[in-house]
Amino acid sequence: MITIFKEITMWDKLAKLSNTIAPSGYESKAAELAAEYLRQFTNDVQIDTLGNVIGMIPSPTGVKTLLIDAHIDEIGVMVSGHEGGFLRFVTLGGIDPRMLMAREIRFLTGHYGVVACLPPHIQQSSDADKCIPVEDLYIDIGLDDASCIPIGTVGVFDTELADWNNGCVIGKALDDRAAFLIILRALELIKSPVRINIAVVASVQEEAGHRGAKTAAFGLNPDLCIALDVTHARTPDAPEDRTFVFGGGPVIGVAPSIPRSMSDTLKKLAKDNGIPYQIEVMSGNTGTNDWAFQTTREGIPAACLLLPLKYMHSPIEMFNKDDFENTAKLLAAFIEVQE
Amino acid sequence: MIKTLKELCALNGVTGHEDAVRDYIIKAAKPYADEIITDKLGSVMIYRAGSREDAKTAMLCAHMDEVGLLIRSITNDGYLKFICAGGIDRRVLIGQRVFIGEKRIPGVIGLKAKHLSSDEEKKNLPKLEDLYIDAGFSDKNAAESQIELGDYAAFDSKQVEFGDDMLKAKALDDRVGCAALLKLMEKRRSCNVWYVFTVQEENGLRGAHAASFALSGGKNRPDIALVVEGTTAADLPSLPPHRQVCRPGGGVVIPFMDSGTISDRELFSKLTSTAEKLGVKWQTKEYISGGTDAAAIQRARDGIKTAAIALAVRYIHTPISSVKISELFDIVNIIDSFLEEL
Repeated sequence: MITIFKEITMWDKLAKLSNTIAPSGYESKAAELAAEYLRQFTNDVQIDTLGNVIGMIPSPTGVKTLLIDAHIDEIGVMVSGHEGGFLRFVTLGGIDPRMLMAREIRFLTGHYGVVACLPPHIQQSSDADKCIPVEDLYIDIGLDDASCIPIGTVGVFDTELADWNNGCVIGKALDDRAAFLIILRALELIKSPVRINIAVVASVQEEAGHRGAKTAAFGLNPDLCIALDVTHARTPDAPEDRTFVFGGGPVIGVAPSIPRSMSDTLKKLAKDNGIPYQIEVMSGNTGTNDWAFQTTREGIPAACLLLPLKYMHSPIEMFNKDDFENTAKLLAAFIEVQE
Repeated sequence: MIKTLKELCALNGVTGHEDAVRDYIIKAAKPYADEIITDKLGSVMIYRAGSREDAKTAMLCAHMDEVGLLIRSITNDGYLKFICAGGIDRRVLIGQRVFIGEKRIPGVIGLKAKHLSSDEEKKNLPKLEDLYIDAGFSDKNAAESQIELGDYAAFDSKQVEFGDDMLKAKALDDRVGCAALLKLMEKRRSCNVWYVFTVQEENGLRGAHAASFALSGGKNRPDIALVVEGTTAADLPSLPPHRQVCRPGGGVVIPFMDSGTISDRELFSKLTSTAEKLGVKWQTKEYISGGTDAAAIQRARDGIKTAAIALAVRYIHTPISSVKISELFDIVNIIDSFLEEL
């Protein structure tokens, strides 16, 4: 059932997916790639009404169905107005305005632009301490008249994935496309026969509020779900108690909404398999798709498994390859024990 | 010339570390140079004699260095703290990719995620001393095995042509000047020319001080000097018209003064009349922000008649600086014609 998914091509595939322009609501390019990648594991790959990519991997002995999810949308910008050769814009999903100055943007139309900076002679010395709010920023597309890019056109950070030394990978949209690759890696790592039907979902519109997950889960009506997503890895400027060790292994979500039996299973599997792990305790909305799954139809038990990621929602999102592999191992172990 | 400009911008030459740019320039200049001198500070002075015996001597000057960062310390967690070399608005640093040192070790200037920041934090910039470069080192020892204190970091920014004839790259200030000089050098002129590529302009015009002192005291003393620069464009729609001092597409910038120099009136007039005669668009500007090498050259020894000519650069001193490509050809045409009439 499994095609060998060699490591050398895995980063190439992630690069292709990460570099693709596909903000929330405009995921079709990423969906095409996700479908192509899924076809290496199953011929049953479909795209549903909202654009979710669904790959069904039936088990000969399977009775129940496990939905494994990662979202393929990303944060971005949307053109909201024109002023001469410059564009006004709003953000799609959460972007810190401090991350926007001097950024390069690529629009779905192919146009390239930069987020304009203020020339120094019009600034007071105190201005340098202040962040310019998004509504005061412009995107410069190098034309005298920017109106050729219609209002509503979407764009994303223009950057390319880089496979670094020190086991780090950086790029945009690793939230959550890296997690989609983790699912594929886990499928490849599975050794024993799988006793549960698997539905892999590359979901849309997570950043807009877990919308794709909702319809995908309704349509598939699985018995249980696991959402693969990212969480904050520790950096010097971030609170230590709300962040996780970069390279410290996958993070298992523990929350009132997540059945304790599921998070306990993940913990036990990590221990049994010698996989380092960390625990994120959440309450209320976990911010990941399990929150949507749990209230779909009659309610579906759903857990989340998270990859530590630095600089979430930026063009320099960064993860550690050991964390990637260990998260895939833990997911593979989780799949193997389901029946 | 655009290929040369792109190649020059791809090289790292953070002020005080201009070696790669210098090597490129010396190699490119070899076929045309009568004499190549690298001075004690690292500036390159290339002489090409004129065809006339009684020829005057011009000095053209562009600086090789660019703004960047210097690694100041390494934290126990392996993050790199830095200071700026040259004037940089720290707002443009956040989220930026950099290359550290000769080995071009990649790093990024991080900022904790939005989700972990308070509303108040999102309105204000972290202090420069709180910013850090993350090159993926797990701890101080790992970082120290590859990074030395004092290593420079340069912006990692690709050259992108976009919009209507615009080029975005880092270090356009002043690789546009370097590219123009390399182009102008290809021709033997009636006048003698010193093509001078200076170091440490962004660190206080230091290369120009030494180079102009040396040249003004030697044989073939320059009669006039022309500084070829990139200058701050200011054409955002949110600025009132009187503050939109110059813009790409508005023509070659011929300033009558900058903050360190009042251009020689005669040279200024000659430059503007040359532009008019050629039918090349030009604009002026009340000052070039900061000083240029003109300040050092003009007051070298007993003085040299000096003027400046520049390209309007949007977002100067940032990784996304941008120029109008056609204006690079225009600036070369003006200087070419100006030199012929010297």
